[in-house]
Amino acid sequence: MTGNSPGWGRLLLLWRLASGDVRRHLVESVMVFVVIAAAAATLTVSLALSGVTNNPYQQTRMATAGPDVIADVGGGGPAPVGGQASGSAGGSPPSVIASLVGAPGVTAHSGPYPYVYSTVRFGGHRVDVVAEGRDEALSPVDQPKLTHGAWLRPGGVVVEAGFADALGVRVGDRVTVGDTDLRVAGIAVTAAVPSYPSSMCHLACGMAVPQDMGLVWVTRSAASNLGVNATTSYLLNLKLKDPAQALAFAADNGRMPAPGSAPVLLYAWQSIRGADGALVQIEQVALQFGGWLLGLLALAGLAVLVGRRMTEQTRRVGLLKAVGATPATVAVVLLAEHLVIGAAAGAAGLLAGWLLAPLLTGTGSGLLGGPGALSIGSSTIIVVAVVALGVPAVSSFIPALRASRTSTSSGLADEPRVPPRRPRLLALSARLPVPVLLAIRQLARRPRRALLNGVSIMVTVTGIVAILASYGYTHPSGGGGGIVNLRISRLDELMSIITIMLAVLAGVNTTFIAWATAADARFSSALERALGASGRQVTSGLCIAAVLPAIPAALAGLPLGVEVYHLLVKAQSLATPPVWQFAAVFCVTLLIVAGLTALPSLAAARRPPAEVLQTA
Amino acid sequence: MSSSGAALVTVRNLRKDYGSGEGLVRAVDGVNLEIARGEALAVMGPSGCGKTTLLHLMGGINRVSSGELWLDGKRVDGLPERALARIRRREVGFVFQAFYLMDELTAQENVELPALLAGRSSGEARQRARQLLDQVGLADRAGHLPSALSGGQRQRVAIARALVNEPHLLLADEPTGNLDTNATLDVLRLFGKLHESGLTLVIVTHDERIAATADRLIMMRDGAFVDEAMLSGGTRGDLGGLRGFGGEG
Amino acid sequence: MQQEVLLALLAKEASQGSQLRTRLIQALGPLGEAMNDGQIYVTLGRLERVGLIARHREGGSLSERKLYALTAAGQERVAEWLAEVEWPKPDLAEFHLKLIAAARAGLADPIGIIAAQRRELLRRLRGAQQAALDEDAGSEAGLLLEGIVLRLQADLRWLEACEQSWSERRRTR
Repeated sequence: MTGNSPGWGRLLLLWRLASGDVRRHLVESVMVFVVIAAAAATLTVSLALSGVTNNPYQQTRMATAGPDVIADVGGGGPAPVGGQASGSAGGSPPSVIASLVGAPGVTAHSGPYPYVYSTVRFGGHRVDVVAEGRDEALSPVDQPKLTHGAWLRPGGVVVEAGFADALGVRVGDRVTVGDTDLRVAGIAVTAAVPSYPSSMCHLACGMAVPQDMGLVWVTRSAASNLGVNATTSYLLNLKLKDPAQALAFAADNGRMPAPGSAPVLLYAWQSIRGADGALVQIEQVALQFGGWLLGLLALAGLAVLVGRRMTEQTRRVGLLKAVGATPATVAVVLLAEHLVIGAAAGAAGLLAGWLLAPLLTGTGSGLLGGPGALSIGSSTIIVVAVVALGVPAVSSFIPALRASRTSTSSGLADEPRVPPRRPRLLALSARLPVPVLLAIRQLARRPRRALLNGVSIMVTVTGIVAILASYGYTHPSGGGGGIVNLRISRLDELMSIITIMLAVLAGVNTTFIAWATAADARFSSALERALGASGRQVTSGLCIAAVLPAIPAALAGLPLGVEVYHLLVKAQSLATPPVWQFAAVFCVTLLIVAGLTALPSLAAARRPPAEVLQTA
Repeated sequence: MSSSGAALVTVRNLRKDYGSGEGLVRAVDGVNLEIARGEALAVMGPSGCGKTTLLHLMGGINRVSSGELWLDGKRVDGLPERALARIRRREVGFVFQAFYLMDELTAQENVELPALLAGRSSGEARQRARQLLDQVGLADRAGHLPSALSGGQRQRVAIARALVNEPHLLLADEPTGNLDTNATLDVLRLFGKLHESGLTLVIVTHDERIAATADRLIMMRDGAFVDEAMLSGGTRGDLGGLRGFGGEG
Repeated sequence: MQQEVLLALLAKEASQGSQLRTRLIQALGPLGEAMNDGQIYVTLGRLERVGLIARHREGGSLSERKLYALTAAGQERVAEWLAEVEWPKPDLAEFHLKLIAAARAGLADPIGIIAAQRRELLRRLRGAQQAALDEDAGSEAGLLLEGIVLRLQADLRWLEACEQSWSERRRTR
């Protein structure tokens, strides 16, 4: 391996060394692969989502001639049906509308259209809705685009697509709007009002409302009928010369309600888009949260993996150097296998993410078109590549560096690192029953591994608790409202997928760490058995050693999970899972940790000690 | 026929095989042996002859493939792991060729360990360990880590560890394999003392000097016994014959 | 040169003096080059006088080939010699030749001879070692005994090598 050898020969040799090593440690290599691939997949999906929200909204905006600014005149919040009327009651729209239409920068308008808060009854459900009164003629600005059926006619109602999907209505069904029986003439989408499960209230009310409101379009006469006992407000759609200025326009011309005058609330199309994307945003937050969790788990697992390989690699370094490899070659060989696996895993994760993303990025039927054809752009690939290659590289780099610096003779002599010595712990352990004695000594031998185990458990428990909190929030014990809440069901779906991925990755991680711990303890376990400990004592010792750091880790993860959920969702109501769920998560986690550690140890305890000692 | 009264260890047609088919290796190939109480037996042979495997089988740290192994009147070869562990901590002390001391424990703590594993209290174990370290001449090194001990000292710690639970039988695998002459002499003296105190010894070695301390020597080759020699009886008498050595008698 | 070696070499068949010489050189290799021819004939003469071998004359005419053969007493002496375990002075050649002669004549199994010798040496080693251990540290006798022990150990190693080599030879035959 001198500098004179041809480049290909050296590459081939490196390839052989690396692939031979992979084959020998097949289980480990598979685990590294799985862990990195899962993290990569999650990252891919979450990054893919961020490119999604804009596209469908734009399509809808163009197809419906969507407005740049929407004015909500004469009423700012939901008035309960039959409640106190405020502002102008029925009749003609206020004069402020004219001033808006004539404001500088306004090139076109439609409306004002009256709207009232009402209810829709269908199929046993009763849902709050906004009913907007429209002409049968087409409007120049904001003409909802039909996906099914036909536009308004007397006795008919057109239902917003997202709402129709959730409610389950189809063209031709009969629904009761307020106290009027109407026939569903068509189903349409709009860019002027946030689509179901968002609604006007998401802009006006400024907080997340569990019971979402739907949107329907009725004839003007039907609207005024409905408006008899309720407040009528007006919607005005404006088109600006410069759509980008919509936010500034809305800020300048909006007016808070003053006594005697009508309140005017203006919304720019960017805000509508934002509200429309609320569903996806939540998904994105959830996915990012999932991605971080999985990433942390991946790191913990990989750190354990690399720590194990370090001692093996030291001897290999000695051998390689003894046959003439330069430190550079040594480092390359050490890094090569991990990087190759990382690259393969990253690619697999990207692929998996690309396949999964469409499942999660359906924005609900309220917008035209799905997400863009391939939302996996170059930036996503770069980020995933950095993670998939970077994590193994970083975690191999330090041992590779250290290994290539050790002198050849010390590497060959295989000097074992003397484990840390804690005399007080040793003295204490001597007074305790044998399994506890073995457990404490095992922990004292590898304190860093115990820490990593703890971190891994804590991250897992945090994730589980956060997921439980989100379930508790979206499914309050009082029961749901009735119809399928798309956002909640979407969140549920998403959370299920994250839960499954978390469970799989946590399972892989915990299994791997348990296996690695048992495997590394193989020699000392065999020696302890040769000195008279029974197999059962040794196995119990390992289980206790695994569970002891898991206890504080799990306890820490419980409140941390609740905190994380609050941070991410920014919910103002404290939704804490009930105590019994905490206890269940705690106990089940400990049981699984103990079980996964016991299995490989029990299998190893069947081998006679001499066989294990001799192959060490 | 049940095990004879006087024999501590009885071996009948003992076999240990590794691998199968064409790769079958008969490490121990049909060995018969009886070791009386208080006897010192040395097993010699070239490397790979199976002497270490035989020792492992007798110590219960490896599984017999076929044949009978009796220890102190009880049949041991078919016992489950748990019972074998009991034997390892009550009846048999094993000294490994590589010592296998725990690097993070002092000499004292290393010797204590089997006593603790056998359920003795920490005070008892400590006392017993100290006693033994004294016996092997390492009382002043009790608090040293193995890395601070010479090869001979580590060997003696390993021997002390094997004796802490007062076994009836001491099995030693190449106890002077890695030692220089002085350390070898120390270990020789120690074995002599132990033998005098009535302990039954089985020593696997390729050092003739160690083998010469035994009462009986067995030569092994390819898993089977090929020769046996009684060495004891008239140790002083042989000195007379030495006169003729240096020159013509 | 021990007389018994020549006796043993004649055990298989009667030979001329020159043939004996050839065999000796073959067996001793480089060590045999320093051998004095005359010594063989002197020894043969001595053995004849004692009655352990007898000379025959074969064939007539010019070269009187003198063949030496064992007498009955000579055969007895050979058998005794083979069974002896007296360890000679540190000249291993005699033991080496003993093995060769025994194998040739088919009189005894070399492996058995080696084993018997080894047992004896081990016993001596044990005795010497125990005596050495009993001595005070630094005593002169102790030093001598240590030397004896070490030499015996070396000899035992060589016996081990002999055993391996002769076992090989037997296997490949």
